[in-house]
Amino acid sequence: MSEETYSIIGKRLPFIDAVDKATGQAKYAANYILPGMLMGRLLRSPYPHAKVLNIDYSKALSLSGVKAVVTGADIEAIKGEKYGFFRSRRDETGLTTKARYIGDPVAAVAAVDEDTAIEALDLIKVEYEQLPAVFDPEEAMKDGAPVIHDEYQKNIVADRYFDFGDTDAGFKNSDYIREDSFYSQGISHGNSEPRACLAHYERSGKLTVWTSTQSPAYVQRDLSLLLKIPESKIRVIKPIVGCGFGGKVELDAHQVASAILSIKTGRPVKVVLTREEEIAATRIRVPMKVHVRTGVKKDGTLVAQDVKCLADGGAYASTSVLLMFNSGLTTLIPYRIPNLKYEGLMIYTNKPVGGAMRGHGANQPRFAIESQLDMIAEDLGMDAAEIRLRNATRAGDKSISGLVFDSCELSTAIKESTKSAQWEAKRGKKGVNRGIGLACGGFVCGARIGGLTATGSFIQVHDDGGVTVLTGSSDLGQGSRTIIAQVAAEELGLSLSDITVLSSDTEITPIDPGTFSSRVTFYAGNATLIAARDVKKQLANLAGDLLEANPDDIVFKERKVFVKGSPDKSIPFDQLANTLRTRGPGGLIMGKGHWAPTNTQFPDKKTRYGNVSGAYSFACQVAEVEVDTETGQVKVDKITIGDDCGQVINVLGAEGQAEGSAVMGMGQALTEDIIFGKNGQIMNPSYLDYRIPTAKDASDVVTLEVGKPDPVGPYGAKEIGEGLLISTVPAIANAIYDAVGVRITELPITPEKILKELDKKRGETRHDATA
Amino acid sequence: MKKRIELKVNDELWAVDIEPHKTLLEVLNEDLGLMGAKEGCGLGACGACTVIIDGEPVLSCLTLAMDVQNRSIRTIEGLGKEGKPDELQNAFIEHGALQCGFCTPGMMMSSKALLDKNPAPSREEIIDAISGNLCRCTGYKKIIEAVESVAKV
Repeated sequence: MSEETYSIIGKRLPFIDAVDKATGQAKYAANYILPGMLMGRLLRSPYPHAKVLNIDYSKALSLSGVKAVVTGADIEAIKGEKYGFFRSRRDETGLTTKARYIGDPVAAVAAVDEDTAIEALDLIKVEYEQLPAVFDPEEAMKDGAPVIHDEYQKNIVADRYFDFGDTDAGFKNSDYIREDSFYSQGISHGNSEPRACLAHYERSGKLTVWTSTQSPAYVQRDLSLLLKIPESKIRVIKPIVGCGFGGKVELDAHQVASAILSIKTGRPVKVVLTREEEIAATRIRVPMKVHVRTGVKKDGTLVAQDVKCLADGGAYASTSVLLMFNSGLTTLIPYRIPNLKYEGLMIYTNKPVGGAMRGHGANQPRFAIESQLDMIAEDLGMDAAEIRLRNATRAGDKSISGLVFDSCELSTAIKESTKSAQWEAKRGKKGVNRGIGLACGGFVCGARIGGLTATGSFIQVHDDGGVTVLTGSSDLGQGSRTIIAQVAAEELGLSLSDITVLSSDTEITPIDPGTFSSRVTFYAGNATLIAARDVKKQLANLAGDLLEANPDDIVFKERKVFVKGSPDKSIPFDQLANTLRTRGPGGLIMGKGHWAPTNTQFPDKKTRYGNVSGAYSFACQVAEVEVDTETGQVKVDKITIGDDCGQVINVLGAEGQAEGSAVMGMGQALTEDIIFGKNGQIMNPSYLDYRIPTAKDASDVVTLEVGKPDPVGPYGAKEIGEGLLISTVPAIANAIYDAVGVRITELPITPEKILKELDKKRGETRHDATA
Repeated sequence: MKKRIELKVNDELWAVDIEPHKTLLEVLNEDLGLMGAKEGCGLGACGACTVIIDGEPVLSCLTLAMDVQNRSIRTIEGLGKEGKPDELQNAFIEHGALQCGFCTPGMMMSSKALLDKNPAPSREEIIDAISGNLCRCTGYKKIIEAVESVAKV
C-alpha cells in the first residue's frame, strides 16, 4: 500500500448507486417503458446447420395484436455490412438466412404484448434445407468437413503463433520435461440480468437504444454497420446493468431485432431474453483443449514451454483473434519463461458461440499450466509454492514477448497467502481427505487492440460546489462509477456525496470502447484524473489570485481551498466555484481529460512482440478443500488470495471482486458445465440443470492486498476484475490432488470423475449403472 | 378474458384487471409499476423475484396473482419508511452486499422474511434462508455479513 495519505482513495466506501439498488429503485433495461411500446421475440433455428429457403409469416401477421415480422432476408435487403468484434472477423447479421447452430435467430416478431408475440412465433412457417453439420473442432478442420462460413474453408476462424527464444534448445537444456493435456469446459456467464433492449426509431432518422450492454460504443458501431444508419444518428444508453462478465460486450441478435422491428413499425420495441435463451443462444466461455510441454532445470527453473490451444469457437467468430492472442500472451505474465512456443487455433463448429468471459482466454491455459506445474514440482520433489517463487515474475522484468512489468508483487503474494493459510503445516497431509493447493495468475489492464482505445472524461462544477463527471465507461455492477467518483472527489478535495457520475450514453458522455479487458479503472480512472486536474488548475489560478499565492501551492481539501501550510485562511470550494462564474466577464469551469497508455505497443503483426498493456496484475490463490471419498463430493472451505492490483481504490469494491470471482471459480472448477447434445445444442439451459454456486456452496474468502502503486495506473491502481478468476480453478484442482491424490485434467471436477480416479488408484473398475 | 382482482401490496390495496394466467411478478412489474422484484430465470431457480406473502418468502414468478388476493404481500419497495432505507437495506449498502443489484431485491426479501421470524439467526440459518437466491457478483460473503450485522444477538 502507498505511503501517501488519501482522503477517499483506498477507503472502504459503499457504492454510489447502492441506495437505489438496495431499495428496488434501480432500473434495468427490461424496466424501461415507452408509450406505444411493442414487445418483440426471436424465432430460432431448430437445426444446427440449415439454409432458410422461405419464411411464410402471413398467419402470424393476421393474429390480432401482431404488428410486424422481420427475417434474415429483411436484413439482407438493407445491404449493410456484417458485424462483429473485429473488423477482420465480421460474420454476423443478427437474423440470418443460414442457421449455423440450434438457437440461431432467423426471424423476429413485434406485438402489443409478450403473450401475443410468443403466440405469433408458432404461426411462422420456416422452410429449411438442412446441411451437414460438424460439432467437434478436430473434425471441423479436416478436409471435406462442412463449411460453416464460406470464407473459412477449414473452419479455422483464428490462429495465433508465438515463437520466442529457442524452445528446441531450451528443451535440450532441460533436466526434466513433462507433457500433458487438459480440457476446460463451456461455461455460462450467469449474468444475473438477462439481456434486454428497448429500441425507438423516430421518423426523423434517429435510433435510440436502451440496452443491457458492456459497450454502448460497439452496439452503436455494429448497428450502424448492419442497418446503414450513421453512427451519429444512433444513440445508445446503458441503464443500470445486472453484470456481464464479458458476455455483453458484443451486439446481440435481440438488439438487432428490436432496432429493425422499431424501424419497421415506427414504435418503440422491447426484447427481453429468457434465461434459456441467455444460456443456450448468446455467448459461453470457449471450451478449449490445451496441450502443454514444459522443460525445467533440476531446481525447478523453467527453461522452455510449448503451449497448444484448440478452441471450440462455435458458430460465429465473436472475439476470436483477441481470445487466441490472450491465451498465448497470458502464459507469459506470472513466470519468467526464456523460451516459449505457442499455437492457438479457434475453430468454427455448429454450436452456440464461444466468446469473451472474465479472464478472456487466460483461464484455459492457466488451468493447464498451473496443474502441470504442481505435477512437475512433485516429480522433482519440490514444494509447489517453492517452484512458483523460483520462477515468479518480478518488478522490472520484461517478458520474452516484450511485456513490461513495472510493478509486480507476485512473490509477496505467494509468501503472504501461503503464510496466512498455514501452507507449510497443511500441505501434503494426505489421509485426512483434506487438501491445500495453490496457483498463480496475472492479467492485463486493458490489452491494446486495434481501433478505439482511448477513454474520455468531462467534469462540470455546479454552483453549490457539486460536481458532475461524464464518463463513457460502463458500470456493470463492479462499481466503476464509484471508482470514478472517488478519483474526482480525491483530486478536488470533496466527499463522495458531492459527485454525480453520468455514464454510458453515446450522445452525451465521452467516447469509450466499453467494459472489457479489465481496462475501466485503469483508463477511465486516468481520464478522470486528468479532467479533475484540469478543473483544479482553473480553480487554483483563481484561488491563487484571491489568496495572493502561487496556484501550484493551492491545496484542495475537505471542501475547502487554501494555501499549503495555511489551512486557517481558506475559501469554501462552492464559493470559489461561484466566484469563477461571476467574476469579471464571467466564466465556467469545465474539465476534460482523455487517456490511453503511452507505454504500450500494438503487438507486431508477425512475431506478436510488444508490450500490449500499460500494467499487469498478479495473484496467488491458496484453496483448501475437503473431499468425501465415498461420494466424491468436494467442499471448498477457504480460498486465500494474495492479490497485487496495485493501489486499491476502494477496499469494499476490491474485496467484492475477489470474493465474487473466487466463488465463480468454484463453480467453474466443480459444478458448472455446458452440456452439448448430439446436434450441438445446449442440453442444460436452466439454473435447475446448470449449477452455479449458491450461498451453501460458497467458501470463505480471505483477501490480502499486497500490491504497490504502479507508475501508470491512476494513483497506482491496476486491474482486479478479471485476473483473480484465472488462478482459482487450478488452485482448487491442486488442492484436490493434495487431499486424495487424484489429478483431474478435464473440467469440471465432478464427483464421478473423482470416484473413477480413486477406484483406478485402488485398482478397481467402477461400472456405470446407467451405461 | 381479463378479470378484476384485488391485491394488498405493501399495506396498499390495488384493484387491477388481469389475464388469469398472469404471475404475481408480472402484475407487480407491469400493472403496479413495482419493478423491484426481478425476473432472472422465470422458473423459480434464481430467487430474484422473491417477495414476502404473509410472512413467508415466495417466488413471485411461480405464483399466480389470482391466488394471492386477500393476502399480505410485501415487496422491496415496502421496506423502509418515507423512502429511507431500513436497517437491513442500510446493512446491504454499508457491507457492500450488492454489486450489480439485480439479485438484491430477492436476496433482501429472503433475508427479511428470516429476520422477521427469527431476529437472531445463526450464520447457518442465514445461509439456509438465502440459499435459493443466486448471486453471481458477490460470492455471498458480504451478504451473509450484512444480514448477520442486523441479527439481534
